[in-house]
Amino acid sequence: MKPTDVLVVGCGLAGLTAALTAASRGKTVRVAARGAGTLAIGNACVDVLGYVNGEIVRGNPLDALGRLPEDHPYRIMGTEAVVKALRFFSRLCDENGLDIRTESRENLWIPTALGSFKPTCLCHPYMDRKSLQGHDRVIIAHMPWLKDCHAQMIKTAFARQKGFRDRELRIVELAAFGGQTHRNLTPLDVARFVDTPDGERWLSSQLANHVAQLDAGLCTAVLLPPVLGVERHREIRMRMTRNTGCTLAETVIPPPGVGGLRIRHALTQAAARAGVQIMENTHIVAARTQGRQCLSLVAENNGRGRELAASSFIVATGGFLGGGVVASPGKARETIFGFDLDAPERIEDWGAPDLLDAQPYARLGVKVNGRLNAITPDGDARWDNVYFAGRTLAGYDFASEKSGGGVAICSGHYAAPRC
Amino acid sequence: MRAFRVVVIGGGATGIGILRDLSMRGVTAVLLEQGGLAYGTSSRFHGLLHSGARYAVSDVEAARECIEENAVLRRIGRHCVEKSEGLFVLTAEDDEAYVRPWLEACAEAGITTEAVAPDEARRLEPALSPEIRQVFRVPDGGIDGFRLVWHNAMSARRHGGQVRTCHKVTGIESANGRVTAVEVCDTLKKETYRLACEYVVNAAGPWSGEIARMAGQTVDITPDRGTLLAFNHRFTSHIVNRLHESADGDIFVPHGSITILGTTSARAKNPADTTPAPEEVLRLLSLGEPLFPAVREYRILRAFAGNRPLYTPPDHDAGRSASRNFVIVDHEKDGLAGFVSIFGGKLTTYRLMAEKMTDLVCGRLGVATPCRTAEVPLAEQPSEEMLARAARRLPAHRTQLVAERLGDQFADIVGGLEKSGGSDLLCECELVTRAEVELAAGDEATHFLHDIRFRTRLGMGTCQGSYCSLRAMGALTEIGAPFAADAQAALRLFLQERWRGLRPVMWGAQVQEIELGRAIYGSTLNLNGGDDETD
Repeated sequence: MKPTDVLVVGCGLAGLTAALTAASRGKTVRVAARGAGTLAIGNACVDVLGYVNGEIVRGNPLDALGRLPEDHPYRIMGTEAVVKALRFFSRLCDENGLDIRTESRENLWIPTALGSFKPTCLCHPYMDRKSLQGHDRVIIAHMPWLKDCHAQMIKTAFARQKGFRDRELRIVELAAFGGQTHRNLTPLDVARFVDTPDGERWLSSQLANHVAQLDAGLCTAVLLPPVLGVERHREIRMRMTRNTGCTLAETVIPPPGVGGLRIRHALTQAAARAGVQIMENTHIVAARTQGRQCLSLVAENNGRGRELAASSFIVATGGFLGGGVVASPGKARETIFGFDLDAPERIEDWGAPDLLDAQPYARLGVKVNGRLNAITPDGDARWDNVYFAGRTLAGYDFASEKSGGGVAICSGHYAAPRC
Repeated sequence: MRAFRVVVIGGGATGIGILRDLSMRGVTAVLLEQGGLAYGTSSRFHGLLHSGARYAVSDVEAARECIEENAVLRRIGRHCVEKSEGLFVLTAEDDEAYVRPWLEACAEAGITTEAVAPDEARRLEPALSPEIRQVFRVPDGGIDGFRLVWHNAMSARRHGGQVRTCHKVTGIESANGRVTAVEVCDTLKKETYRLACEYVVNAAGPWSGEIARMAGQTVDITPDRGTLLAFNHRFTSHIVNRLHESADGDIFVPHGSITILGTTSARAKNPADTTPAPEEVLRLLSLGEPLFPAVREYRILRAFAGNRPLYTPPDHDAGRSASRNFVIVDHEKDGLAGFVSIFGGKLTTYRLMAEKMTDLVCGRLGVATPCRTAEVPLAEQPSEEMLARAARRLPAHRTQLVAERLGDQFADIVGGLEKSGGSDLLCECELVTRAEVELAAGDEATHFLHDIRFRTRLGMGTCQGSYCSLRAMGALTEIGAPFAADAQAALRLFLQERWRGLRPVMWGAQVQEIELGRAIYGSTLNLNGGDDETD
C-alpha cells in the first residue's frame, strides 16, 4: 500500500474532522477506523463549553475559554483556532446536508430525553429552549411503544421551568407503525423507517392529524425523540414542517444515537468526495518509530501485522471508552505507542465523591505541546510527526464542562495543518 | 392504646424473620427500619447459603445450625435459593493437613462431603486453577438476601404484621423498669410519634449498640466490615471455597448472571461505614488468584461492603476469631424488662434466630402458639394457570424468573403483564419488565428507586443502571409514583449509590462503563447541570 501524506487513526468527530481538514489542504489522507467511534452513539449537537468549575457559562462560550486552566486543550490551541474550527465544521456539515449552526453568540439550551436542558453550541436552531418557549403551545410526542421516550417525564420537568409557565404543554400519543411487535424499538429504528418514503408518510400524517385536532391560531412546536430520519434528515424536516405548520424539535437521547449518525453520515459523505480513504475494521495496535519520527503504524490483521506508512500521523483513538487509553490499578497507558500517562498512583485520587462533578480521572490523557505532539515528562515532543486529537487528550472533562464535541473538532482541525 | 404488642427494630433478615414469626403466632407487631428493607448487612454479603462446612472445624455447633437451616430454607424459601452446589478446593497454597480434620468435622456436623477428582472439578469449572490439589463437593447454595427479606415481609404482612420503612427510632421509653413505648421519626414526613408496646426487639444489626444505648443498655457488638466484589459474569457455576481455615477472600459465589468474591474482615469505624476501599479490592483480587488465576482479567461490576454485627464480649477479640454464633440478650437481667437484643449469627440461620427470639418474647407475653416458620413456605408456588398466562407475555426462560422474584405477588404481575406495555423490558441486563417495576413502586415500603432495585434487581446487571434507571424513572413518572415527582433528583440519588461501588475499582472495563455513564447522564442529559430556569 502506497504511503499517504497523512494517516488518521480513528473515525469519530476528531478523526474525521482532521482527515477532512488535511484533505482540504491538498493532502492525501487515509483513515484507519476500528469501529464507528463514539460519534455514532451520540447526538446531533456539538458542545463547546457549558460550564467552568461547575458554573454556567453565560454569554459567548468562546469568551469563557480564558477561564480554563492553562493545560486545557482549548488553552493550548487558543481561541482563534477554536473559532476557525467551528466555522469549518459548520460549513462542512451544511455542504453535506446537515444544519448545524454557529451564528448564536451564546450557548443554546436544548431539551433532553429526561426533560432537562443542556447547553450546547452547534445544533439545529429549532432545538433551542428559547425557540421552544417562543411558541404558544408545545406538543410532546409520546410513543409508548418506543424505548426511552418518556413524554410525561419531559412534561413534568418542563412545567417546572419559568419560561414554559404560560405555555400550553400537551402530550399526544403516536400510534405504532407496522402493528404489534415483540421487538424493542429505539428512536434509531424509527428514524431509519422515517428515512423511507413509507416512514415519512406515516410520521407526517400522524403529526398532521394531531395538529388538525387542536385549535388553530396557536403557534405550535412539536417535540419528538430524534426520529426525523438519519440520512435524509434535512429534506424530511423541511417537508414535515410545511405539512404540519409546526416547528419540529428533537430531544437528545442516550445511545443508540441518531443525531451522531447524522453527523457521521455528513462527514463520511464529505470524506468520500474529498478522496479520503476510510479503512474500516482496521485496528492499529503498534507503531514503528525511529528517534523522534514515526515511520508507520501497525494494524492487526489476522494475527499478522500490516504496516501503514505515512509522512504524518494523527491519533484520534478516543479515551477510555473509545479504547485510545486504558487503565490498570493506579496506571493509565496510551494504547498504540504504549507510553504511560501521568496518573495518580492512589486509586482514591482518580475519582471525586460526586459522579457528575468534575472527575480527576476524566482529565487523564495524552499531554501535548502547542503542536499537539505528545510530550515527555520533561516537555519534549516524543515524535515530531505524530499529533493527538480528541478524547485521547489530557486536561479536560467533557461531561462536567460539556465540551466533548468542541475539543474533538478543534483538535482535529488544529492538528491537520501541521502535517 | 396499644396498636402493637411488639415493636421490632431493624429491617434486615433477622428483624423481618422475627416479624413474620410473631405475626404467624398471632402477636400484633410492627417493624421499624431507618432506611429500606435489606439496606444493611442482609444485602451486603456474598449471598451464600452456608452448608456449614466453612465453620465445621472452628465451631461445630454453628456448622450444625447451618446445615439444618440450609435444608429448611431450600424448603420454605425456594424462590430465594439458587441450587448451585459448593466446592471446597485445596489450592497449591493451602495446607493439606487441614483436609482430614475438616472432613471429620463435616461428618460430625452432618454435612455431606464428596471427593471430586481435580480433573473432574476442572471439567465442571474450567476457569479453576490447574494447580488445585483436592476438591470436595458440599451442599452450599446461593441465596438472594434482598428477595429473602422482601418475601418474609410479604408473608408477615399476610399475617397482619406491619412494616414501616424510613422510620428511625429516636428513643425508647420505660417506666418502673419496663419498656412502655418507642419514639420514632418518619424521616420522609419528618414526623415523630410514639408507639406504645409491651416488648421491643432490637434486631438492628450493626446499629444494635446504638439502639441499646437509647434504652440505657449496652450490648457487646463490634461492627466488622466485610468488602466484596461483584463481577459482571458467571465465571463459575459452582460456589467455590478455599479449603483452609476461614480467611479473607476465600469464596466465589455465582448469582444469576454475576459472581461475587468475598470477603474481608476489618473493624468498621461506625455502622454506616460501608464504602469499600481500593486496597481491599486489590487484596481480594490477589487472594482470589489461587482459585481463579484469571480473576484480574474479569470485569468488576462494583465493590461493596457490609458490616457484620459481631458479638464481642469484653474479653474477646473482634474479627475472624469472634463467634459467628448468634446471641440473644434479655435486658431484664440488667434492669429493663421488655427489651431484648439479638445480634451475631449469619443470614443462613436468620430463621432459627428469629424462632428463638420469638419463643422468648411469646413466653413472656403468655402466647403459647408454636413456631411454624420452618414448615410454611414464604411464598406459595404459582399456579399452572398463572404460569401459562405469563408465558404468553414473556419469553419462556423469563416466566420462572419473574415468578420467583415476585413470590406471592405473581398473580398481580400477570395482570400487569397483560396490560399494554406491561411486558416491556425496562432493565435489559436483569430482564425486568414494566409491570414488575410498577408493582414494586406501589408497595408502601417503596420510597426510592433503590427499593425497586432490591425487589426486582433493576440496575444490578452489567450496565449498573446506565440505561435502565432513566427508563424506570420514565415509567414511574407515568404512573405518578410520588418519589418520581422529581425524576432528576431521584436519578441522581440512584446513580450516586452506583458510583460508590465503582469508585474503588476505577480501571479496565469499569472506567469505560463510568465514561459511558457520565457521557449519558452528564454530557447528554445534563443531570447535574445547574439550570437557573428551573424553580
